[in-house]
This record gives sequence, C-alpha cells and structure tokens, in this order.
Amino acid sequence: MIDGMMAIAILLPVVAGFLIFAIRNYYLRGAVVIVTALLLIANSILFTVKGPFTYTPTGFDWGNLITVLDWAILALYIYLGLKLRNWLVLIFSITQVIPLAYFEFGLKAHAEVQPAFVVDHLAIIMTLIISIIGSLICIYAIRYMRDHEEHLHLQKSRQSRFLFYLVLFLGAMNGLVFANNLMWLYFFWEVTTLCCYMLIAHDQTEIAIHNAARALWMNCTGGTAFLLAIIYLYQNHGGPAALSIQNVIAGGVHNVALILPVALLCFTGCTKAAQMPFQSWLLGAMVAPTPVSALLHSSTMVKAGVYLVLRLAPAYAGTYLSTAVALTGAFTFLATSALAISQTTGKRVLAYSTIANLGLIIACAGINTPLSIAAAILLIIFHAVSKGLLFLCAGTIEHKIWSREIEDMEGLAAKAPLVTFITAVGMLSMFMPPFGMLLGKWIALEAAYKIPLAAILFVLASTLTIVFWTKWLGRLLQVMPKLGWPLEKMSLSYAVPLWVLLIGIFVLGIGIGPIYTDFISVATSNVISGTGVIASGWNSITLTAASAAQKGGGLLGSYPVWALFLVLAVALLIPMLFFGVKPKQLRQVYLCGEQAGGVDTDEWLAEADIKTKFILGGYYFQGTLGEKALNPWANTIAILLLAIMIVCGVIVK
Amino acid sequence: MNELLIAIATIIFAPIIGGLLFGIDRRITARLQGRFGPPILQPFYDFFKLIGKESIVVSRMQFVWIYSYLVLMIASLICLVLQSDFLVLVFLLGFAGVSLVLGGFSTKSPYSHFGANRELLQIMAYEPVLLLLAIGIYAQNGTFLISTIIAQGKPLLFSLWPLFIAVLYVLTIKMRKSPFDISTSHHAHQEIVKGVTTEYSGPQLALYSLAEWYEIVLVLGIIVLFWANPIWVGVLIALAAFVLELLIDNVAARMTARWMVRLSWSVGLILGILNIAYIYFAKGVF
Repeated sequence: MIDGMMAIAILLPVVAGFLIFAIRNYYLRGAVVIVTALLLIANSILFTVKGPFTYTPTGFDWGNLITVLDWAILALYIYLGLKLRNWLVLIFSITQVIPLAYFEFGLKAHAEVQPAFVVDHLAIIMTLIISIIGSLICIYAIRYMRDHEEHLHLQKSRQSRFLFYLVLFLGAMNGLVFANNLMWLYFFWEVTTLCCYMLIAHDQTEIAIHNAARALWMNCTGGTAFLLAIIYLYQNHGGPAALSIQNVIAGGVHNVALILPVALLCFTGCTKAAQMPFQSWLLGAMVAPTPVSALLHSSTMVKAGVYLVLRLAPAYAGTYLSTAVALTGAFTFLATSALAISQTTGKRVLAYSTIANLGLIIACAGINTPLSIAAAILLIIFHAVSKGLLFLCAGTIEHKIWSREIEDMEGLAAKAPLVTFITAVGMLSMFMPPFGMLLGKWIALEAAYKIPLAAILFVLASTLTIVFWTKWLGRLLQVMPKLGWPLEKMSLSYAVPLWVLLIGIFVLGIGIGPIYTDFISVATSNVISGTGVIASGWNSITLTAASAAQKGGGLLGSYPVWALFLVLAVALLIPMLFFGVKPKQLRQVYLCGEQAGGVDTDEWLAEADIKTKFILGGYYFQGTLGEKALNPWANTIAILLLAIMIVCGVIVK
Repeated sequence: MNELLIAIATIIFAPIIGGLLFGIDRRITARLQGRFGPPILQPFYDFFKLIGKESIVVSRMQFVWIYSYLVLMIASLICLVLQSDFLVLVFLLGFAGVSLVLGGFSTKSPYSHFGANRELLQIMAYEPVLLLLAIGIYAQNGTFLISTIIAQGKPLLFSLWPLFIAVLYVLTIKMRKSPFDISTSHHAHQEIVKGVTTEYSGPQLALYSLAEWYEIVLVLGIIVLFWANPIWVGVLIALAAFVLELLIDNVAARMTARWMVRLSWSVGLILGILNIAYIYFAKGVF
C-alpha cells in the first residue's frame, strides 16, 4: 500500500509526464493530465489516512540512479551555460560540480540513510498543497496554453513540453517534502530548479531565456551551499548517518558545530524562496505563461525554500542564527511590501506579495516558538490557496484584455464581473479578516514579541500590504453608473480550478478550528514541542503564552473565527445579495462642470465646449517606493543580513 | 447572553454619544470662530433629514461598501466593549477603512478618487501606530486582551505615554480634523469638494455619518484604555483629548497627505518604537 502511495506521489508524475510529452492530441493529452491530477489528489488524501510513516524503497539501487541523474542535471546546466554564453550559469554550475565530485570521488561517500523518506504531518500537509493546488493549476493550464499559443500564432505546438515539465514538477516536489536523506533532497531540489528553468524559458523569447538563466544561476548558488552543507555534515558528523534530516534536527541544539551547515541550508532555502537579494529571479519568472507563475508561487518551488527553513527550525532553535533568520525574513517582508506599492504590472504586485509572505513565513520559522511555527504552517497553507487563485485570476484576466498592466484593468468589474468578483475575494483573503492569511498574520504578530525588532518590521509591512492590495482592487472596481453587467463566459478548464480554490478559501477559513486541531497542531509538533495555539470547537482560536504565570491566565489573545465570518456576511454578502439599485436612481458623478451626456458617458464639456474624456489613474509612488529608489538600499541590507546569517552559523551560542 | 446585551446596548447608545460629540464639536468650533453655532442636536436633525431623502447612487458597489464600512466599524467597536483581542479590533478597523476607500474607488469620479487615495494614505499613517500600540500593550501586560487592561490596577499611561501622544494624532486623522482633514473634511475645500464622500448623498450619506459617530466613540474608547481603572479618569482624558483636537483644528492649517505619512512614519513610529524598546529593557527581556 505504502509502496504504491509513494510511487504515485513521486513516480506517477514522471511517467505521466512522458506520456503527456508523447501525446500530440489536445483532448487526449488533456484527459491524461486530468486523470493524473485526480490520482494525485486522491493519493494525497490517502496520505492523511495512512500517515505518518517512514519508508525506504527496496529492490532497486535508487541511490545510484539519483547520483547518475545528479550528474546529468549538472552536465545540462554546464551545457546551458555554454550554449547561452551565460557565464554566471556556467560559474555556479561548476561550483556545484566541484563539491559534488569531491563528495562522490574524493570522499568516496555513499549516502545510505535509513529511512530514506519520513512522511510526517508536516510533509503530508505539504503534499496536500502540492497535489491539490498543483493539480488544479495543471488542469487550468490545459486550456490556457491552447489560448496562449493561439494568441502567439505559433506554427508548432509546444504545449506537450510545457505540460510535461508542469506535471514533473509535482513529482519532484512530493519527493522533496518526503525526503529524509539530504542527498536525495538535494536531487529533488535540483529537479525543481531544472523544471523552473525550462518553464520560465518556455516561450523562447530573448527576455524569457535571459530571466530563466537568472533563475538558474541564483538557484545554483543555493545548490552550491546545499552541497557544502552536505560535505561538512558528512566529514564532521560521522558519515552517512549525519545526512539524515531527522538526525540533524535531533542533534542541532546540542551540537554547536552543526550550526554552520544548518546556516548554509537556510541560505539555500532563502535563494529558493526568492528572499532579498535573490528576489529578481522570481520577478523575472513573470515572463512565463501564467500557470507557471501560479505553480511557482503557490504550491511548488518557493514553498520548497520555506519548507526547508521551517523543517530545520529545531536545529537552530535558541541560537543567534535563529534571530538572524527571523530578521532576514522580516526585512524581506517589509522591503518587498514597500516595493509592491510602486508596481504597475499586476503580476509583479503578486510576485512581490509572494516574496513578502515567504519572508513572513521564514521570519516565523526564525522566531521559533510553538506559536510562530503554527503561524508559519497556516501561512503556507492559506498563501498557497489564495495566491494560486490570484495567479489563475491574473491569467484569466490577461486572456480577457491581453494585458498585465493594472491601469488596463480599470473598470474590469463591468467588463468581466465574474472574474473580478473572484479576484476581489482572493485579494481580500490575502490581507483582511476573517480569512486565513490574516489569522496567520495575527498569530505571527502575537508570536513576534520574542524578537521585538521583527514585530516592528511586521507592523510596518502589514500596513504596506493593505495599501497595495486596496489600490489595485480599487482600479478593478471603478465603474460608470450603468447597471446590468452581463456575466462573462469561462471555459470549464478555467472555471473549475477558480471555483474550487475560491470555495477552498472559505472551507479552510470557516473550518480552521477543527482543521487546526486535527492537522496543523500535529504538524507543528513535528517541528517544535509545546502548544501555543489552541483551537476549541469551531469558533475560537486562542493563543497561550509560553509561561502560564503571565497575567490574564497565560492567555495571549483570542480570535473569534465564526464571529468574524458572520461580520463579513453581514457587511458584504447581505448588501451584495439584497441591495438593488433601480435605473432611475442613477446619476452622473460630480465633475464640477457640465457633462456631455447621460449616466454612461465619461465625457464633459471642457473649454470652448469641446467634449473631453476624463481619465483617472492610480497612485504608484515610484519616486519614493520604486525599485530604483529602494533596491540599492534594500539589497545592501539584505546582503548584510544574509552574511550575518552565515556568520551566526560560525558563532556559537 | 450578557455579551449579546452589551453588544446591542453598544449598537444603540454609541451613535447617540457620537452624535452628541459631533454636536458639541460644531458648537465649540463655532464659538472659537466667533459664530453662534447650531444646536447640539443638529447632527441628529441632519441625520434624519438625510435618511428621508430620495436614494440616489452613482454605482451599486459604492452602496455596498459604505454599508460594510458601517458594519465593520460597529464590529470593531463591539470588539472593544466586549474586551476581546486588541489586534482583532485593529484589523477590523483596518477593514472598515479599506471599505471606505473601495467605496471611493468604485465610481469614476475624480473627487471621490482623490479622497479615496488620500484615505488610503491616512490608513497608512495611522495603522502602524495602532498596531504598535497593540505590541506596546503586550509588552506591558503580557497579553493582547483588552479585558486584562481593564482589570489592571496601574494605568497604561504611565508606561505608554509616548504611544499615547502618537494615538492623539491618530485621533486627529480619524476625526478628519486639521491638519489631517485630507481625505474629506467637515468644511468645504474646493480642490477635493467632499473627497471620499463626494458621491454619497441622502441615505448613504446618513450611513456614512452614522459610521463616523461609531468611529469617534471607538477612537475615544481606545484612548480611555490608557487609564482604564478607574474608568472615569480615562473618560475625562478622552474628553480632554477631544477638546484638544478641536483647538488644534482651529489653529492648524491643512497639510498634504505626504506630509502626514512622513510625520507619522518618522515621529509616530519613533515614539512607538522607543516606547516598546524601553519597556523591553525595563522588564529585562534583553
């Protein structure tokens, strides 16, 4: 049974990927994608029943296969570096080749770790996110890529290749979250880097290839740090057994010399999670077709980065490194939230918001208390759902208006009310009560007391978050005083993932009490012992202080889940359903002059009675918050923080 | 059951207090300007007149948002009177502010947009102060629950006076008084007309002023928390702060939105951060 489940989670996407690659018929290929997606979803749910367990595959020397594939991937990187004449790619793939060669041939290391896979609750939550949200995105991509290619007027269809990498990505991610052997984790890590490169470069335009190469070399720096950490562990901590993540976690706090490799692995996590100063690869990834962005941002790739940092949290608990990780994440949260305000492209706002939230999650891992770890897991889940939804919305909007610019989305509520509604709910779910993201932020803020500086950075960043979402949402909603917006038609391949994710936001949000008790609190205890968050019944989530001796009976705060959803229903649902407006109630807006027509015209009589259309635009504050103004400062501070993080790996506490 | 009664009582009595405060505001302001001023009950007369007017709208969504602004403001106030989590209160208040902004944005009206953009900057100016106050309360009390503040013997004002100063200008922003009557104003200003509320009329405008009444009670209620035991001292401090705002309103000129954000993000945040840092050092956390 377990053999089968592991095979479906990791190997099925590979097999299905090759099948999809071979099939040229649109409908047949779509059917294979859908069947694979359904199998993955069903399988991931099965994990919640059968798990947790540990697993080591037998009957085949998988370790050797992985070593061979490691070399194949690195050889491909070097080939790409030479072909693209991109020296950074070449340099950082060679920096990976040298330590790997030293490890394999110099040390003659053989990395046998028992067990090879540890499937605990944290890993199960990750596989649920990967399998469910990732699969929905693959389904969405079936139709999206056809529309995409029709728009580009491609001679030769490349949809098979695209879907191949998309599905393969899911298998690699599943392997990554289950792996206990660091060498195997490294392999899956590199597969995701490779898939990421291929997907970003998919359109083969000059900019796509350039940005893909940047993603490649930046992630290669992380891969290099990963290998150095492996070699250090292997040499100093007793050979293969040291490469077990469970051993690293268990030995971390007691063995000060373990901190350096853990710091290197945190650095690796930060590169993959696109933390500053590595944010540019994820921003560059925006050139790719939207399903790629949706996948990278919600369920795969960047989540691997935060997963690694979170997974290792017990290994650096109570050290300077922990504080450094918290501040690195919190700083990224602040800086990218500020940068998001100045962005004029929708997808770039989404990208900055992702990086910001990943920063928050990493900061939570660094704060390293039961409260903050619970917050981190909650944020990973809710961010995946909401951001997956928002990217799919962005893609749908793009295929409606063929633009990604926020200013072109002006008044979308009248042109495409359905997708605007879904987008608006998605946006509100990112930063407003009663939705899950805010619950996560609330716990994070109340947990941040341990590191006051992080708490202050959280405060500023949360405020900026409100500004950029509201600003964008405002542009969508700007409409003329006309009534009767016809609902647009959406292809099923678009509509199903959108609605499922939208419903998911509400189901997870409303049911967070029981879900927390049954899953998240168990996953939290996989990382850190002790309870901080207590969900009792459906309605109440309370936080308790570390020491019960504190005032208020040790109660930190309380969050009434259902009461807040009730408030939302009364505040927005009821008026939207029941407040009708009759045409005779409509009037023109005040223009301080004479309008040139009825309620549905936006022209007025300017000087000499010339009809003039008036134009409104959003604020972007590019002078003060633009990339040109902020990046030099922010990147410098971020580099310093990363350097401090590594140094903290050497300083013993 | 008891909580439900308190909530209902709040919904009924808060606007009466708020309306009266606005009546007093108009009277005092008039006297300061050498006018006689309207009767104290004038806000109520205005309110009932607006309610009875024909409902005219420029966009359906604007109607929805102004209503949700009111509901969220009430929810936020109920959070305060039920003595629940202070952070949840701030988040709800933030949502209320966002509703007002989105109401301003959901019509193609230049004045409404000016106001909405400026209202958003106002949120940017006051939100971090309120969040820092939450952390300050935690640093002092070890919990985010308002009930603990009330049960506490020693007033917060002693340890949180720098944050108190910061909250005073949050009050100015929230009351839309000079120098911060930026997004909309109680007096006519020609460059923004009535700012974010330009396109509201009749019953919707009545809803807006009702929300304003709840809002003033809420913000003054937050000030009361600084001296919650005995509570009458806190109420006196809040009323004094209210009168102080009226004086400031009449001696200060309007400032620009950017100036407001800069002031808040420099002076306000430094006050808050130093305050929190001091408590942490004093309590020997480091």
